[in-house]
Amino acid sequence: MFEVFKKELRELLRDRKTLIFVVALPVAVFPLLFAIMAFISSQAALEAEQEVHTYAIINGNYAQEFTDKVFYHKSFALYKGDETFNTVEELTKAVKAGTIDMGIYLPSDAKQTLDDAKQSEWQVVYNDAKAINFLFDRVKELAKEYGDKLRTTKLLSFGVSEQQQAAIIEPIKVVKVDTADKRENLGEKIGGFIPYLLIPLVLMGATYPAIDLGAGEKERGTLETLLLTPITRTQLVLGKFVTLLASSIATTTITVLSMGVWISVAIAFVDLAVVKNAFSSLTVLDLGLIFVLLLPIAAIFSSLALAISIYARTFKEAQNYMAPLSMGVIFPIMVALMPNVELTSKTAFIPVTNVALAIKEIIKGTVDYTLVGLIFLATVIVAGALLAFCVKWFNKEDVLFR
Amino acid sequence: MIEVAGLKKKFKLTKDHKKNKTDNIDPREDKEFFHSVRDVSFQCNKGEVLGLLGPNGAGKTTTLRMISTALKPDEGSITISGHDIVKKPLVGRKSIGFLSGSTGLYGRLTVKENVEYFARLHGMSKKAVAARCDELFTLLDMHNFIDKRAENLSTGMKQKANIARAVVHHPDVVILDEPTTGLDIMTTQTVINFIRGLKEQGTPVIFSTHHLDEVALLCDRVAVINQGISCFDGTLDEFKQTGQSEELNQAFMNILTESRNV
Repeated sequence: MFEVFKKELRELLRDRKTLIFVVALPVAVFPLLFAIMAFISSQAALEAEQEVHTYAIINGNYAQEFTDKVFYHKSFALYKGDETFNTVEELTKAVKAGTIDMGIYLPSDAKQTLDDAKQSEWQVVYNDAKAINFLFDRVKELAKEYGDKLRTTKLLSFGVSEQQQAAIIEPIKVVKVDTADKRENLGEKIGGFIPYLLIPLVLMGATYPAIDLGAGEKERGTLETLLLTPITRTQLVLGKFVTLLASSIATTTITVLSMGVWISVAIAFVDLAVVKNAFSSLTVLDLGLIFVLLLPIAAIFSSLALAISIYARTFKEAQNYMAPLSMGVIFPIMVALMPNVELTSKTAFIPVTNVALAIKEIIKGTVDYTLVGLIFLATVIVAGALLAFCVKWFNKEDVLFR
Repeated sequence: MIEVAGLKKKFKLTKDHKKNKTDNIDPREDKEFFHSVRDVSFQCNKGEVLGLLGPNGAGKTTTLRMISTALKPDEGSITISGHDIVKKPLVGRKSIGFLSGSTGLYGRLTVKENVEYFARLHGMSKKAVAARCDELFTLLDMHNFIDKRAENLSTGMKQKANIARAVVHHPDVVILDEPTTGLDIMTTQTVINFIRGLKEQGTPVIFSTHHLDEVALLCDRVAVINQGISCFDGTLDEFKQTGQSEELNQAFMNILTESRNV
């Protein structure tokens, strides 16, 4: 068995393509991810801060205070062109033509309607398909401020004090007392995303070399000679399995280490608040626990990938079979992302989903160590069963000589 | 000595095969199975070279795969020097060297690493491996390319490496399945010389081929299989007599025609 392992490992280390998937990709994925996150968040903030949108307003004089608020807002600039606008249709046409970014239409009876304590309907014309949907929110916010002020003044004139107004408008105020700390809160949100990254990488660490170790042997014509050596099929499978496991574990180690290192870098040198809040309490022990949980997963993937690969007649056929396997792995991870799916003594027995849920709990800082033990046990049992199946598969003539 | 008696092997028909069945039914096919080998027997003694002949699809490769223990026969026995290798395949694997025209090498390993790997799998010690490899590399004139990766070798070099791999563990019997198919003249000559060398050492060799000139050149015995059944097993002279001439083609055709009539 050791000879098979030694040889497979030597071949693996000389395969540039596999090395890219097993080593380079896990190293690159986290810095890449954080860089993208940093870029997007800073870019989005910068754009939102800096971009100024042209607008036109019809009948603005009927709500002068509101019109002034829009005029002095840093994100808006009044259209100073030659065109004049009198209707919503004209505003729509101008937005479509790109003459203005937004049009605000106030009805001509706006002042009268408001004075009569009736509701006045204002229209904001803009292109919602563009990434500028905050335009509407900003105008709405300004209109609300103006509307609140009008309401307060009106109610005061009716003899309703500000205190009474608050009680009338909102008779019951529900106040949230959140027991979740920032880590738990953010962990819930992005904790599900981490297994989404980690687990497929562990799978990748097993599948790419597996194709070469099974179908590759058939395609090269080396399988038959290997089967004719006086080592048992169990030894042969174990040799190959241990190679895949080593490759998968290497990917896991690199991935978890890379995650740890880049999280520290992100926290120390880059002002990434999301990463900081979610991961600052993550300890080395937590990372170790994530790593330990990924080990039996690596064993499951190694057995599965080897069984599939030895069934395939060619490299191409094996690659075709590996694609559904990847899909099959993504699905249980997605289940873990679903709301209300939590780590319980039942979900602890669902392969892959259990580990994804446990990783989420670890990141949230709310993991139950008894359940982690249960997951480890359940995953080891599944991995063992799959390995036994793999040995059986290697003994079947109709699989080996398809 | 190797003795093969009453070998039978059937394979389950695939759904596609059943679907694409034509009216021209192969007598070896029934509803569920394809009886690839129906009754094959022959023997090969020490120092003899046995040529296994038969048309395409006759069952030669399946027979050789059973002898090499890659496939398990449904019925029949295979004994090498008195050991029943059907019952004890691991014993058989230690005594058999196998090479076919389509046997490959591990491309990312060097020639030396390839040969050493198989020697180690046969349980040879490091010292024994080193000595045997050196002996084979000299014998086959391979020293100038043993450190090259197999993926960078010419066809001739690859076949030499394959020969070394097949015999590195001093097998009692060597089985060759169409070893010269697709090879150029020079490489074919290397294979022929290798078979001659084995014969001189007293190692029984069974090789399947379509080249009757190779049979005339090397074989002491000939076995012919047609549609999974042995239809001839005898010496080269006896084989020639069935054709009533020195032309082996005639003998081969006569045997096949006779077997069809039966």
